[in-house]
Amino acid sequence: MQDIQYIGEHLLPGQVGQAAIVASFVASLFAGISYFFATQRRDTEEYETWRGMGRWGFLVHGLSIFTIIGVMFYLMVNQYYEYQYVQAHVSEDLPFKYIFSAFWEGQEGSFLLWMFWHVILGLVLMATARQWEAPTLSILSLIQLFIGSMILGIYVGFGDEPSRLGSNPLMLLRDVMDAPIFAKADYAAQLTGSGLNPLLQNYWMTIHPPTLFLGFASTSIPFCYAIAALWTKEHKAWLQPTLRWALFSGGILGIGILMGGAWAYEALSFGGYWAWDPVENMSLVPWLILVAGIHTNLIARSTGHSVRSTYIYYLLTFLFIVYSTFLTRSGVLGDTSVHAFTEMGLEWQLVAFIVFFLGLSGAMMALRFKGIPSPQKEEDTASKEFWMFIGTLVLLFSALIITASTSLPVYNKIVQFFDPAFEGRVITDPEPHYNKYQLWIAIFIGVLSGIAQYLRYRETNFKKYASKFGLHTGIALAATAVLTYIATLWIEAKAWQYLVLLFFGIFTIATNVDYLLTFIRGNLKLAGSAFSHIGFGIMVVGILASGLNKRIISNNPFVMDGLIEGATSEELRRNILLFKDSPLIMPPYEVTYIADTVDTFTRTFTVNYKRRDKEGNVVEEFNLHPNVLYDKSFTKIAASNPSTKRYWNRDIFTHIASLPQVEIDMEYRRQREDSLNYQVLNAPIGQSVSLVDTVPLKEVDTFVVKTYRATVEHINRTPTHPDYQPEEGDIAIGATIQVERDDEEGVFTVNPVLVLRGQLLYSYPEQINALNAKVRLNEGVFDAVFSPETDLDYRSFTFRQGDKIEYNGYQIQFAGFNRKPEHPNYVPREEDVAVSAMISVQAPDGNSYLAQPVYLIRGNRPFNLKDEIPEKGLHFRFTGIDPTSETVELQIAQASKTTQAIPIELATNSLRSDYIVLEAIEFPGINLFWFGATLMMLGMFVSMGRRIGKSV
Amino acid sequence: MKKIYIVAILMIVAAIALLTTAADDMSTYATFSQATRSGDRVKIAGQLSKDKEMYYNPAEDPNYFSFYIKDTEGEERKVVLLSEKPQDFELSEQIVLTGQMKDEAFVATDMLMKCPSKYKDEEVYIKNEGK
Repeated sequence: MQDIQYIGEHLLPGQVGQAAIVASFVASLFAGISYFFATQRRDTEEYETWRGMGRWGFLVHGLSIFTIIGVMFYLMVNQYYEYQYVQAHVSEDLPFKYIFSAFWEGQEGSFLLWMFWHVILGLVLMATARQWEAPTLSILSLIQLFIGSMILGIYVGFGDEPSRLGSNPLMLLRDVMDAPIFAKADYAAQLTGSGLNPLLQNYWMTIHPPTLFLGFASTSIPFCYAIAALWTKEHKAWLQPTLRWALFSGGILGIGILMGGAWAYEALSFGGYWAWDPVENMSLVPWLILVAGIHTNLIARSTGHSVRSTYIYYLLTFLFIVYSTFLTRSGVLGDTSVHAFTEMGLEWQLVAFIVFFLGLSGAMMALRFKGIPSPQKEEDTASKEFWMFIGTLVLLFSALIITASTSLPVYNKIVQFFDPAFEGRVITDPEPHYNKYQLWIAIFIGVLSGIAQYLRYRETNFKKYASKFGLHTGIALAATAVLTYIATLWIEAKAWQYLVLLFFGIFTIATNVDYLLTFIRGNLKLAGSAFSHIGFGIMVVGILASGLNKRIISNNPFVMDGLIEGATSEELRRNILLFKDSPLIMPPYEVTYIADTVDTFTRTFTVNYKRRDKEGNVVEEFNLHPNVLYDKSFTKIAASNPSTKRYWNRDIFTHIASLPQVEIDMEYRRQREDSLNYQVLNAPIGQSVSLVDTVPLKEVDTFVVKTYRATVEHINRTPTHPDYQPEEGDIAIGATIQVERDDEEGVFTVNPVLVLRGQLLYSYPEQINALNAKVRLNEGVFDAVFSPETDLDYRSFTFRQGDKIEYNGYQIQFAGFNRKPEHPNYVPREEDVAVSAMISVQAPDGNSYLAQPVYLIRGNRPFNLKDEIPEKGLHFRFTGIDPTSETVELQIAQASKTTQAIPIELATNSLRSDYIVLEAIEFPGINLFWFGATLMMLGMFVSMGRRIGKSV
Repeated sequence: MKKIYIVAILMIVAAIALLTTAADDMSTYATFSQATRSGDRVKIAGQLSKDKEMYYNPAEDPNYFSFYIKDTEGEERKVVLLSEKPQDFELSEQIVLTGQMKDEAFVATDMLMKCPSKYKDEEVYIKNEGK
């Protein structure tokens, strides 16, 4: 294989990128070392030199990262599939707007995204951190070194199987796998991409990962400050700059997590915004610890207490980010999470990442612990700092129990390492498990974030203050009681624990609104904490409303109760079958599946919701448009996107859970169509014909006999059919047929169409869903309807306008000219001179008809277009005009036979497919969740904004 | 810092108490024979029997999907999932089900599928028109 000279490969950008990968790795090492010496020699004149080298190192590192990303985008935009990453994530039909999503779909791309943000944040530090620049960037470069190793892709060690360090995103496909195609020199031109997972082809995938990774990256900054402060023993000075960064990080990480929830709720069919999935949990845990750190940071700045805890919290935050990276990327969660990455050989590198920084943090803390100042006097129990600190312990506690449960697979792995016989343990039902603990955490946080706002830092004389504290707490409790009562009228608490939570959620809102109005008197600059705590309270109410009172509207009324212990029937049967155009009552709505349209691979359904009052008047009506996305081959559904009606106080969520198999898989549909057993019936117009069908009964050795009756009402020469698009030159025949079955009430009218286009026949059958039958026209219909021209014996007649003759018993009159003739086969042209003869025919049976044959001159040549009266087999041609005598020449013929019996075909095993399987859920008060959670994050930005203006 | 220590100790006690109750929420992956014996709600991991019938007819019941899996001991049983048939079900390698035995079948309310990753896919994708 080495001897092949490949053609059509684009190796240069890859080589540039490879060089940049190595350069970024080396430069981060260089920057880290330079900044290390800059920090060590910060009081000597060498400082400037070392810092300068550190800066150069970090800039080169940053530039290299940008180069790698630039090269990868270049390769992806140009679809150079000889690169493995491009092949795996891009395809021809991938819309350009999803190129970013494709970039960070893979592990390597998301590592690069993380490093990208570190570079940006590092540059901000370089510009603003002053004396903190050297130590913080030294640590940040070290972090970059570890993440950089994940994409290095070099082999280390000796022997037959050297271990690979990192997974390189610029590998060529032919280096990654062995396949016969690589024996061809021009293989590159024959490759195609596998593309982006359709589930990820969504704008949330464009904005959620960069926000979340900015959140991840930003937690590194408080970590770097913490290590830097321990290193330089600046235990006080670091508190102020770090607080701003921590607030920024808390806000961004929080928004990143929320976006994940919004994505799950809005675009995926999960039917909720939080499911306690391990991946979700492990992004929440660092956030909780970070928030704890922000609180001790505030305490430390105001009182000097809790400096040690602030260190520990910020160190833990980053360590948990790394741990979460390990969990989601090592494949260890494979069995328990729906959206973890699969393993790709980075496990030990990720473990090394954790172990190194855990060791570094532990060692720094151990070395410096004694030297960290802390006041002799302990916090007063009536002081703000005491209760805030308790609050941070509650947050830590919450984080640790979530981590403990989520880490069960890791625990299993470790125990199995020592005892292979050990059977892994697993949480049977994760959601109730997490909820039951976090419920109490939320209650504690509600209490603490309420009353702590009324307390003062460094309280020395609570007795004097007690009456004010008592008054405000009393008022807040009273207001909370009233509001809680009102809330219970709207949402059902279902259990006393939830009622307690509701109470303290509202208590937080009440106390913090009070704090906002009376303590800081609406000073918005100071309002950050009040906003965040009010947001927390509103979020709790929103969670209770939307979670506890979530109602599955599409609840199947025909349920089997008591099937599963502990689970209500409502939870069990979420889906309902909805036939097209037949409304179904799903209290309080009347739901109808109205229509569906296909646009390339997307099929969008229109589902109508109506609510009526007692008199039956429609008081509310809206349409929802869930869609499904087919894969390229139209053989399966790649994604099902919900649609949600939003009211201010509730959402109605709808998604297509399933479709009939024939609507999912077009290949299956074709097979199904081929397997239909059509039987031919010759039906004279207006006469009923019957077909007897025997249906074997499942599992019983008997047959049921069903009799079908069909009547061809009439033949249509210009038929319409929903699927038929007429083209010039088509010869189309339609029939209106009435079908009934002896055991089924009603007569069903169908209009199948058969079209002859050139040499090809196109059949447009019609389905009768109520009878599971399908009707189409047999190709013999053309012979039955059309008489060959050669069989006709035309006779010429000369008419003056108004003349009447008798022909075979018919009274035929030439009534006049039509100078704007219309004829099914005639398409006018500008040059044409065209006229039709209006011929009125009186049949012996008393019926009268009109025929309009056309005579035209096109390009100096005469043409004529015949017309006929099919019922009577009369054919007319308009063959000449004599202007001098003002006469016309008409040719008339009558076919020897009138229309024969019409051959139609009936299949009795065509299952109906005009339905959707729908899931519909109502979420009351879900906007409270979004609003509260967003307010919580905004509060952090307000607090950060206030602190940014101040000097370091 | 004495009071803080007291609070911390209380929390540790609470944590231990919680962890003991949490043990009730956990179990090992069961096998069909264990699930039959205990009758409890359990999690079962197994391999999809691709040669056995998979039945989903939404027109009949949109919340009934049945198939067969082999558990870790190799015992093959019918599983009824009270939900729609998920997409790509046929491709799944490993299936984790939550539910309980009901007569001869395992009735599941929750299912997690592990599908083969495209990273492991050895197939090279070749343009159709290139052939």
